[in-house]
Amino acid sequence: MSATLAAGPARDARVADQLSRRRRRASNMVKLLCLVATGIGLAFLALILATLLWLGVSGLSLTVFTRPTLPPGSGGGLLNAIVGSLIQTALGTAIGTPIGLMVGTYLSEYARGSTLGNVVRFVSDVLLSAPSILIGLFVYEVAVQPMGGFTGLAGSLALAVIVIPIVVRTTEDMLALIPVSLREAAVALGAPKWKSIVFVCYRAALDGIATGVLLAIARVAGETAPLLFTSLGNLNWSVSLGQPMASLPVTIYQYAGSAFDDWVQLAWVGALLITFGVLALNIVARVVLRKRT
Amino acid sequence: MNFITKALAVTLAGFTLAAPAALRAQQITGAGATFPAPVYAKWGEAAKAAIGIELNYQAIGSGGGQNQILNRTVDFGASDAPMDPAKLTSGNLLQFPAVMGAVVPIVNLPGIAADQLKLTGEILADIYAGTITKWNDPKLVELNHGLTLPNIAIAPVYRADGSGTTFVFTSYLSAVSPEWKSKVGASTSVKWAAGNGAKGNDGVAATVRQVRGGIGYVENAYATQNKLTTAQLRNKSGAFVKPTLEAFAAAAANGDWKNAPNFAVDLIDTQGATSWPIVSATFILLPKDAKDPARSANVMKFFDWAYKNGGKIAADLEYIALPEAVQNAVRAAWAANVKS
Repeated sequence: MSATLAAGPARDARVADQLSRRRRRASNMVKLLCLVATGIGLAFLALILATLLWLGVSGLSLTVFTRPTLPPGSGGGLLNAIVGSLIQTALGTAIGTPIGLMVGTYLSEYARGSTLGNVVRFVSDVLLSAPSILIGLFVYEVAVQPMGGFTGLAGSLALAVIVIPIVVRTTEDMLALIPVSLREAAVALGAPKWKSIVFVCYRAALDGIATGVLLAIARVAGETAPLLFTSLGNLNWSVSLGQPMASLPVTIYQYAGSAFDDWVQLAWVGALLITFGVLALNIVARVVLRKRT
Repeated sequence: MNFITKALAVTLAGFTLAAPAALRAQQITGAGATFPAPVYAKWGEAAKAAIGIELNYQAIGSGGGQNQILNRTVDFGASDAPMDPAKLTSGNLLQFPAVMGAVVPIVNLPGIAADQLKLTGEILADIYAGTITKWNDPKLVELNHGLTLPNIAIAPVYRADGSGTTFVFTSYLSAVSPEWKSKVGASTSVKWAAGNGAKGNDGVAATVRQVRGGIGYVENAYATQNKLTTAQLRNKSGAFVKPTLEAFAAAAANGDWKNAPNFAVDLIDTQGATSWPIVSATFILLPKDAKDPARSANVMKFFDWAYKNGGKIAADLEYIALPEAVQNAVRAAWAANVKS
């Protein structure tokens, strides 16, 4: 009895030491696994970028930007696809952003906790995760078939449908971050609700909302599926919204699987352009967001 | 935000102004089969300079081409497989051939160069049915006396997606093997007993190239462009032929165009000592009552030009132009059927 008592504190210390060592070992183990997982994820990103650079840069030349797509062996470029992508992305964003902004504002400022608000939020979130091919099919049914043809406008509409839920979510989240006291201050100064939203809340949340729009642009710029059924693609130079319109993702989709070396090369160049365009937008978005926080 | 909105407004205004200029070009839009896409693209480039018609052809697949013209979302559809006559009638469409091409078998066998290996349709059917599984199978050895065939497994590769090429290939297998005809049949996608699927001609080509002992079937252009190892085939007269443009043209010349309703000619396993056995025409589907007859008129103008002047371009890409009698029959069909 007395012997065990005497050994007590020393044994406790030893047990504690063992326990802590085991815990430390387990913690290190988990840390290592996390690092490996991170490494694998980063390695894939690095590999993708390296492959793109490796295969894409060798095909970069002035003709890529000055000539439209041409048949194999005719020395074509990607001009119509680049311009088509710019037009459809810009128009899609221009249509989708105001709608998304207003829905997001409604959810944050007018419908907090209301049933309708919750329904709208739920529907918007479902739309956010809807496969983009479904959105393409939807626009095909409501716009392409009734209008009797594939058009750049239909492509822009499909992209706008993708833009809306992204902007809704970021707008609502960013407005929710604005302290209630700011709104109260505005109201106390006699500002009507719309004024407090436009001149106080929007101003305070501007960077965050702009980031959301940038992320939406980055997302739609690389979309292939919604354009396949809507703007179809165009081999020729065309900026008319009433005609089929070329785009980079669709051109990549078609060229990457072709039998012709120059087309496959152009597909890699197109992939390089899109990836670095989207990467640049993402970086801009990050920088804007960091400035804010 | 303000900046973005302004930039968007300016860009959009720019495009609205630019739009009328683009409308002046006479553009026609077609969609469908991937098989003839390279030759349509080349014809389009040349016709734009010659007759001022801009062709926008999108290779979305034969099935897609049929659906889109039935939905009237394009000016013409294109399909490797002829359309079901009932659908042609209900869709009020005129079907006519544009050009012909060939499907060739490709293999990956160590020590065997292009066009050395001899194959027959029956053996191909057995390979894809899974009854011949080794490259040194007695049936193969008997055909290829001079070659040493390795003792490795045959890895058949087929198209996983619905494909006009598959339709042409399985039509051939059905024509030469009654067993294949009754068990599997001919379609754009069939139930394969053996092998692995790959997407697109390029997918089949890539898989065959990677797998030792692989065998597949692709459009001739893919085999030529990618320098794949093709094989000889035995034709109806019993002669072994190499996949050359001359052999394709010989098969095309032997087609029975006169007795083919809707121009749906059968060029599979035709007569002739030098004929390549897997040749097929690819078709254009044109509405007889287009909403905008001017666009249909431009489609006909384009193909009329292509018939007259596109033969050399087609031959360069190893496609075969239509015989002149058939071209004239198509022109007569245009005049009789299409409102313009």
